Amino acid sequence: MIFLCLALVWLTGFGLLRWLFPSRLRWSVENVLLFSLAVGVGIGIASCLYFVTLALGGGKLVTLASVEGAAAVIAVALGMSAKRSRSALTSSPEASTPSYLKALFVLGFAMAAVMFILYSLARPHGEADAWSIWNLHARFLARGGAFWTDAFSKQIAWSHPDYPLLLPGIIALCWTLARTDSTAVTIAIAFLFTFAAAGLLMSTLAILRGRTQAFIAGILLLGTAAFVETGATQYADVPLSFYMLATLALICLQDRYPEDLRFSLLAGLTAGFAAWTKNEGLLFVVVVAVARSIALFRFSRRPGWTRQLILFAGGALPPLAVVGFFKLRYAPPDDLMTRTWSTIIHNLSDPARWITCITAFIQAALTWGGFLIPILLVLVLYWYLVRFQVDETGRPGLWTAAIALALMLAGDFAAYLLLVGGDLEVQIHNSIVHVLLQLWPAGLLTFFAAANVPQLVATPKAAEPEKHAKRPPKARRRAAGTH
Amino acid sequence: MLDVVSGYYNRAQTFGVDAFEDRFREIRKAVPPHSVVGYTSDNPANDDSALAEFYLAQYTLAPTIVTNTINQPLLVVNYHNPQPDLAKLGAQHLTVVQNFGNGILLCRNNTR
Repeated sequence: MIFLCLALVWLTGFGLLRWLFPSRLRWSVENVLLFSLAVGVGIGIASCLYFVTLALGGGKLVTLASVEGAAAVIAVALGMSAKRSRSALTSSPEASTPSYLKALFVLGFAMAAVMFILYSLARPHGEADAWSIWNLHARFLARGGAFWTDAFSKQIAWSHPDYPLLLPGIIALCWTLARTDSTAVTIAIAFLFTFAAAGLLMSTLAILRGRTQAFIAGILLLGTAAFVETGATQYADVPLSFYMLATLALICLQDRYPEDLRFSLLAGLTAGFAAWTKNEGLLFVVVVAVARSIALFRFSRRPGWTRQLILFAGGALPPLAVVGFFKLRYAPPDDLMTRTWSTIIHNLSDPARWITCITAFIQAALTWGGFLIPILLVLVLYWYLVRFQVDETGRPGLWTAAIALALMLAGDFAAYLLLVGGDLEVQIHNSIVHVLLQLWPAGLLTFFAAANVPQLVATPKAAEPEKHAKRPPKARRRAAGTH
Repeated sequence: MLDVVSGYYNRAQTFGVDAFEDRFREIRKAVPPHSVVGYTSDNPANDDSALAEFYLAQYTLAPTIVTNTINQPLLVVNYHNPQPDLAKLGAQHLTVVQNFGNGILLCRNNTR
């Protein structure tokens, strides 16, 4: 029953995406993109519907099953009725991908899956934040009956009752429909987000830069032990990273297909779901809109800016309306947002806080991810070897992604510097790993979408005479040493 | 990867959520679901595990709200000795309502 619920949720997302991007059901990079994206879109829709139904109609099984079932049926009907009308998303043309790279990816995927499963078997309830925040809220929603609003009680303020409900909502929905509060639900959701992020990253890069680049990025993401492990801890950071990646990936694809504004609409929807996942997601929505505006003005694409921003806002509106409803009607004030101006000014002028924050960010950049060699240095070396090369059409999207990530990092830094109370050193030490992890998949997308594709296969010798044959006769004579 | 594998094989030795939930299984049926109950334990106050166990008690007993205080009419007592010191509870004006036999007790606060 649990997997039937999750299948229904996924079908809701996939149906909607197929309606927007009708494609033949076969193995293609477009379908990998849609399959991966459907995880986040389906979960986002189902979670929003669950919360609205709970708030307006109560948490009765029949009501919830009817609403979610109807959404799935409508989405599937839309997806099946859609006619193929526009050009398909295809891989960027390139020389063939070496088989050892594919084998390395299969190995990386298998190791990540084994690691995730072992971690989940050892800790089926996840780590401390999972059972003291996300899964706890889900239990209040699913077990609370008419008293589900106890999840937002000030008496459990330590559990951050102001946090948005995408994750607790989808968990509680599956528990209610399956009539069990099994940890299989939380593990399966965590698994879906973790591995769908890899699928999304790879399919987007395959379209933008080719399959070789996609495999390299996929290996790096699934080889990031911290990413897979945090996914298995059932924290909301990996789901948030998924929505950030999805938003920036769709914006990059928007530039590849400038006339097709479905990408901006979907990017708005996924950004809205980011805001429904964690409070940082609200900052992300604003940051993406600002970054996109800067990028489009920078590359003189002013006419496109209005249309794209309207559609982005249109996509983000439904989830943001749910977030607004939750924040205004149920959530207690965010503890970070209750700081007074005098506290903020005091924190700003405190040199010790600056030193603590700067040191922690530098340390985290050099040690993050548990790599043997700092990953930042590896990426710098990789850049030195292959360099960046972006064609004219792809530049606004990449600039949007780079500015958005830089602004998010600046926003996180400012939050630590100005708003975090208590022992700053402990707080920053406990959370900076997660903050960087939220940006990691989108960071990989930005880096590999900008980097040149390395030549991993030697040019076949048979091609040499052909090359010579194409040269003009004078050049050919010179190459042969004749006049 | 190796850390995760060794963590998996050592999981039986570590204090897990499942073990904690098992200890609280019976009291969960006894506390009213939509109420607020207090909580006390024999953990040292500054011990990290004291707070973690309190959070776990809340996770286990949800949708009952658990507050980390004895200023509630009903209390969950989390002792690690199956034969708790009842005199110590009496000194705190707590009367045992039900003893679940594994260090977990439901008590009434006589001052409330």
